Amino acid sequence: MFSEDTILLLYEITDVIIAGLSTGSVYALMAVGMTLVYGVTKAFNFAYGEFFNMGGYFAWILIFGLGLQFGGYLMILVIVMPLMFVVGYGLEKLLVAPLRKRQDWENKVMMLTLGLSLFLSSLYMVVFGVSMKSLPPILDGTLEVGQLVFAHQDIMIFIMSLGGILLFGWMLNNTRIGMAVQAVAQNPEGAKIVGIPQARIFAATFAISTVMVGFGGILLSQKWFINPNSGGIIMVKAWVVTAFGGMGSIRGGLYAAFIIGMLEAFVGWLFGMSYGIIALFILLLATLVLRPQGLMGKGE
Amino acid sequence: MRLKHMAIIIGVCYGIMAILPIFVGDVRFIMNILIMCLIWAVVASCWDVMMGFAGIFSFGQVAFFVMGAYCSGILAINHHVTPVLSILIAGLFTAGMGVLVGLPCLKLAGPYVALVTFGVHMALQPTLRGEIGIALGSGGSVGLLTIPPISMFGYTFSSANIVPTFYLTLLVSLTCALIIMFMIKSYWGVAFLALKDSQDFAMSLGISAFKYKLMVFALTSFLTGIIGGFYGHFYGVLSFRMLDLDLFSILMVMMLVGGLGHFPGAILGSFLVVAGSELMAPLGAYRAVAMGALVVILVLALPDGVMGFFLKRSANKIV
Repeated sequence: MFSEDTILLLYEITDVIIAGLSTGSVYALMAVGMTLVYGVTKAFNFAYGEFFNMGGYFAWILIFGLGLQFGGYLMILVIVMPLMFVVGYGLEKLLVAPLRKRQDWENKVMMLTLGLSLFLSSLYMVVFGVSMKSLPPILDGTLEVGQLVFAHQDIMIFIMSLGGILLFGWMLNNTRIGMAVQAVAQNPEGAKIVGIPQARIFAATFAISTVMVGFGGILLSQKWFINPNSGGIIMVKAWVVTAFGGMGSIRGGLYAAFIIGMLEAFVGWLFGMSYGIIALFILLLATLVLRPQGLMGKGE
Repeated sequence: MRLKHMAIIIGVCYGIMAILPIFVGDVRFIMNILIMCLIWAVVASCWDVMMGFAGIFSFGQVAFFVMGAYCSGILAINHHVTPVLSILIAGLFTAGMGVLVGLPCLKLAGPYVALVTFGVHMALQPTLRGEIGIALGSGGSVGLLTIPPISMFGYTFSSANIVPTFYLTLLVSLTCALIIMFMIKSYWGVAFLALKDSQDFAMSLGISAFKYKLMVFALTSFLTGIIGGFYGHFYGVLSFRMLDLDLFSILMVMMLVGGLGHFPGAILGSFLVVAGSELMAPLGAYRAVAMGALVVILVLALPDGVMGFFLKRSANKIV
C-alpha cells in the first residue's frame, strides 16, 4: 500500500516525535519551576539555566568523581535533590532577600541573577573544563514494537519528569507548605495577616524551583551533554515555554512545553539543530504580539 | 547631575586619556588597551542610557555592537565600500535593527523586555554561524578575517601607526559621549526620565511613550553600531565569539562600577574596569569568575557605583 520510502519517512517522523516528547516533558518540568518562582515571588531568575547544569554536574561528580556504584539514579536523586534545595534556599536568603527592601528591586534582582549566572558558568568552566561532560543513560536498551524502536532512556525521562510534575502538583494542593505558597501568590498581604512567614515561603519557592530545574538537568543531561556555556540558552527556552503557556498557569506550561519540544525536534530534523533557537525566538515574538497572556494565561 | 558637572567629568576623563600616549605611545600593548577603553566607554554609556535613564531593561547592547561590527565588515570586504561610509551604513542598519527589536518591547513589562533582547543576543550567534550568516558573508564559524583598516584622505589608520589611530578613536568616542550628554540634558532626556519614573503620568502630560522609547532604541543602537563598525576596522578580525558572555559581563561590570543612571559614570567605569581587568590578567581563567562575582557584589553593596560616592548628597535629584 505504501512505498518503501514513505514507510521509512514515517519511521523517521516517529523518532522525531519521540525525541520531541522526551525533551518536551523536561521543558515542562523547567517551565513549571519558572512559572512558580516568578508567579509567587516576582523575582526573575536569570541563573535558572545554571541550576540546570548544576544538577547535571552534581550527578556527574557522584558518578565519575566519587564513583557511586550502588542504587543508580535513584541514589543520585536522593542525594542531589536535597542538595539543590539547600543551594536554592541559601542563595535566596543570601542574595535576593536583601534586595527586596529596595526600590525597583525587580530590576536589581535581574542584574544580580545575571551576574550569578556569569559567575556560575565561568566557575563550571574553570572547575570542570570547557569540554562537555556526558552522563550514562538511566536505562540501557531499547523497546521494540514491531519495527518501531523506543530507547528505554526516552521512556524513563518522559515518565520521571511527568511524575515530578504530578508530585509537585499534588504538593501544591495538599500539603501545608504548598497551600502557603498558593496563599502568598494570591494575596501577599492577606497571607501575612494570617501568619504565613512570607520571607520563608519566598526562599522555599525559590528552592523548589531550583530543585525542579536541577532534576530536569539530571534527566536531560543524559541525552544532551552538560555544557558549561549552555545556561543562557536553557534559561531562554524555559522562559519561552513559560511565556507561551501563560504566566502562572501550570497546565498551560505543560501544553506549551510539549508543543515547543515538538517544534524544536521538527525544526532540528528539517533544517538543522542551530535553527531551533531561532524558531523559538520567532515563536516568542509571535506569542507576545498576538496573545501576550500566553496560551492559557489569565490575561489582564 | 548638572550639565556643567557632566562636562567637567567627561573633560577630565578624556583629557587624561589624551595625554597618556605621550608617555606610553611606543608601547603597542598599552595603546591597544587604551583604544579598547575608549570603545567600551561608548558601548557602556549607550547601555546606561537605555537602562539607567530610559529604564528599558535591555540586554541586547552587545548584540547591536556585534551587528554593527559585522555589517561594516561585510560591506567593506564583500562590497568594497570604503570604511568610513561602511561604518555610517552600519550605524543606520543597527539603528533600524534597534527599532525592530524595540517595537515588540514597547508594550511589554520588565522581564519580558529583558527576555526578548537577551533572545536577540542568543539567536544572533547561531544566525551568524549558520547558513544564513554565510549567505550574508559573515564567514561562518571562521568569522571575518581581512577587514580593511579605515583610511581617510590617503592616510591609513591601522595598528601599524597606532598613535594617530588612538586619537581618531578618542575623537569618535568623545563625539559619542558628547552626543549622549546633550541628549540626556535636552528635552528628550527629560522625557526618557519622566517615562521611566511614571509612564502613565508622563503620557498624561503629552509625552509619547511610543515615540520616545523607539527613539532610545534607535539612538543607542545607532551609536553602538557606529562604534562596533569602528572596532571591526581597527581590529581587522571579527568572530561570533564576541557574543560569548565574557564581553557581556565586563560591560555590565563597567556600567555597575560607574553607577547605573549616573551618566558619565559609565565612561569612568569602563576606564577603571579595563585597567582592573588587565591587572587581573594573572588570574587567568578565574578572571571571568571574578567578574561574575563582582556583578553580584556590586549590585548588593554598591548600587550607585563610583558616581554614587561623589553624589551622595544629591543622589536623589540627578536631573
